[in-house]
Amino acid sequence: MDTIKLYLHSMRMLIKSQLQYPASFFMQTLAQLVMEGGEMLAVILLVDRFERLNQWGPGDLYFFFGMMSVTFYLTECFGRGITGNFPYLIRTGQLDSYLLRPRGLLTQVLCSAVDPRRITCIAVGVAALILGSSLSAIQWTAVKVLLLIEAIACGCALVLGLFVIEAIFCIYSVKSVELVNAITYGGRSACQYPIDTYPRPLRVLFTVLAPFALTLHVPGSMILDKPLFGWPLWAAFVSPLSGFVAFGVIFLVFRRAMRHYRSTGS
Amino acid sequence: MSYIQAEHLRKTFTVRKKREKGSLLREKQTVEAIKDLCFTVERGEMVGYIGPNGAGKSTTVKMLSGILTPDAGQVTVGGRIPWKDRREHVRHIGVVFGQRSQLWWDVPVQDSLDLLKDIYRIPEEDYRNRVKELTEALEMEALLRTPLRQLSLGQRMRAELCGSLLHRPELLFLDEPTIGLDAVSKLALRDFLQWENRRHGTTIMLTTHDMEDIVALCPRVMVLGHGSKLFDGTLSSLLGRYDTVRTVSVRYEEADAKPDLPETVPVNREGENLTITYSPDSYPTAELIAKLQQAGTIREMTMQPQNIDHLVAAMYREMDL
Repeated sequence: MDTIKLYLHSMRMLIKSQLQYPASFFMQTLAQLVMEGGEMLAVILLVDRFERLNQWGPGDLYFFFGMMSVTFYLTECFGRGITGNFPYLIRTGQLDSYLLRPRGLLTQVLCSAVDPRRITCIAVGVAALILGSSLSAIQWTAVKVLLLIEAIACGCALVLGLFVIEAIFCIYSVKSVELVNAITYGGRSACQYPIDTYPRPLRVLFTVLAPFALTLHVPGSMILDKPLFGWPLWAAFVSPLSGFVAFGVIFLVFRRAMRHYRSTGS
Repeated sequence: MSYIQAEHLRKTFTVRKKREKGSLLREKQTVEAIKDLCFTVERGEMVGYIGPNGAGKSTTVKMLSGILTPDAGQVTVGGRIPWKDRREHVRHIGVVFGQRSQLWWDVPVQDSLDLLKDIYRIPEEDYRNRVKELTEALEMEALLRTPLRQLSLGQRMRAELCGSLLHRPELLFLDEPTIGLDAVSKLALRDFLQWENRRHGTTIMLTTHDMEDIVALCPRVMVLGHGSKLFDGTLSSLLGRYDTVRTVSVRYEEADAKPDLPETVPVNREGENLTITYSPDSYPTAELIAKLQQAGTIREMTMQPQNIDHLVAAMYREMDL
C-alpha cells in the first residue's frame, strides 16, 4: 500500500517535471503517434495484400496487434524506469543513491521515470483492438473482458521482466547488451502477429523463453473463439500467468546479481 | 563499543584490461582497493578522511554505507552490519556526494523533499518541524520553490544537505562537499555542519581534498593511502611532522647582492627577488637573518609558513602515495 502511494507520488512529480518543457512534450507525443501509427499501417497493408494469415482474418490480426501495442506501451509508459534507462543507472553509478535509501531497489527504479508520451501509442493499440473486435464480430462476455484484462496485465509483467534481464547483464558487464533488445523490442514486433505464423525456433523462443504466446496469443485466440492449439478455456486463464512467473524468476536472478554489483565512479 | 567499528577490512576489484594485440584473452588485474583497514569512530565525532585520489576513500564509505560488501573483515555501525540489512541500515545514515545529486533535477526542491518524506516514511509532523529547522539553519526558505536545475552550485549543495538530513540520520557521510563552492558558500557550509553536529550529535565523516575543511571542522583526521591507514590523530600533530620548512623572500637595493649561506640552504633568484628555503631546526633563523643583512641593504623581506597544501603534498610524497 505504502509502495503504491510512493509510486503514485513519484509519478505525479515526474509528470509535473516533464511538463516543465511543454513544447518538447507535445512534439514528442505527436512523434510517438506517427511511429506507432506506422506500425499499424504495416499491418493494414499486410491485411490488404493477403487478407488472411493461416486461420486469422483481418479483424483477428488487428486484434492481436492491438493487444501487443496496449501491453507493450502501457509497460513503457508506467514502467519507464525499468524499460528506459536501467542500464544507464548502473553504468553511471546512479544506483548507489537508490541503495542508500530504505526502499526496495526495483521499487525505486520503477519510481524513477514515467513516459506519458506513450499515451498516443496506447491509443493506437486501443483503436486496433476496437477495429479488430468489430471486424471479427467478437461476442463480448464478462469472461472475455476478464481474460483480456488478465492477458494485458500478465503481458506487462513479462515485458518488465524482459527489460530487467538487460539490467542483469549490465551488472556483470557494466555495459548495455543489445542482444536483449532482440527479445524485448524484437518480441514486440514479432508477437504482434499470432505465434502460429512462425517457424518452430521462433515459436519456442516466444513460448518458452519469452512467453508472449502464452500471455497474449492464447487468451487472445480464446476471445476470438479460435483457441490456439485447441486449448480449453481454463488453459487460456492459466497460461498468461507465465508472464508473472517469468517476472518472478528474473526478479530472483536480479537479486542474486545485485550481490555482484560493484558501483562505478567515486 | 564504538559507534563505527571496522576491523581488518579488505576489498579487491578485478579490473579487466583492454585486450593486447595478438593475445586472445583479456588480461585481468586485481586491484587491492582496501587492505587490512581498522579504525573506530565514536558517536558524535567529526572525522576527516583524506588521501590522494584512488586511495580507497570512496570504497570505505561505500562499505560503511552498505553499498559494497568487503571481501574480508567486519564492520558494525551502531551495532548493525551495513550490508546485512541494507534497508534498516540506510534509514540511519545520510550521504552527500559533492558531485552527484540525490534530488530530482526538474522539480522544485520542496517537491523533492516531499517525496523523500514518503521514501523514508517520515511522520508528517516530524517532517514539517525538520524542514523548518533545516531550511532556517541553511537559510534556504527562498529556494524551496525553485527547481533544482535553476540553483547555483552553492544553493544546490544546501538543498542536497537538507535532503540528506531530513530523516535525522545518526551518521552523515560527506564526499567532497565543498568542491567547486565559492568562499562564502564554503564558510556557510562549514558553520552548518558544526551546528548540526553540536545540536543533534550527528557523527560526521568527511572526505575532502580541501584542507581548510579539515582545519575548520575535524579535530581528528585519518589518512588513507594505497588502501591502508597511514595516520590517525589530530591534524596539527600530522602536519607538525611536515611543517619543517620556511620560505624567505628578500629584495636588495644592490642588484648583485648574494648572501653567504651554506650549501644546505638553497637560494633561488627570480629577477630581483631571492627566495631562500630553509629549515629552522637545522639552520638557526637568527643566523640566517644576520647573513642576509651582511650581504647588502635589504629593501624588502617576507617570511612565509608552508602552505597547507604543500604540507599535504610533502606528506603524500614521503608516504610514497
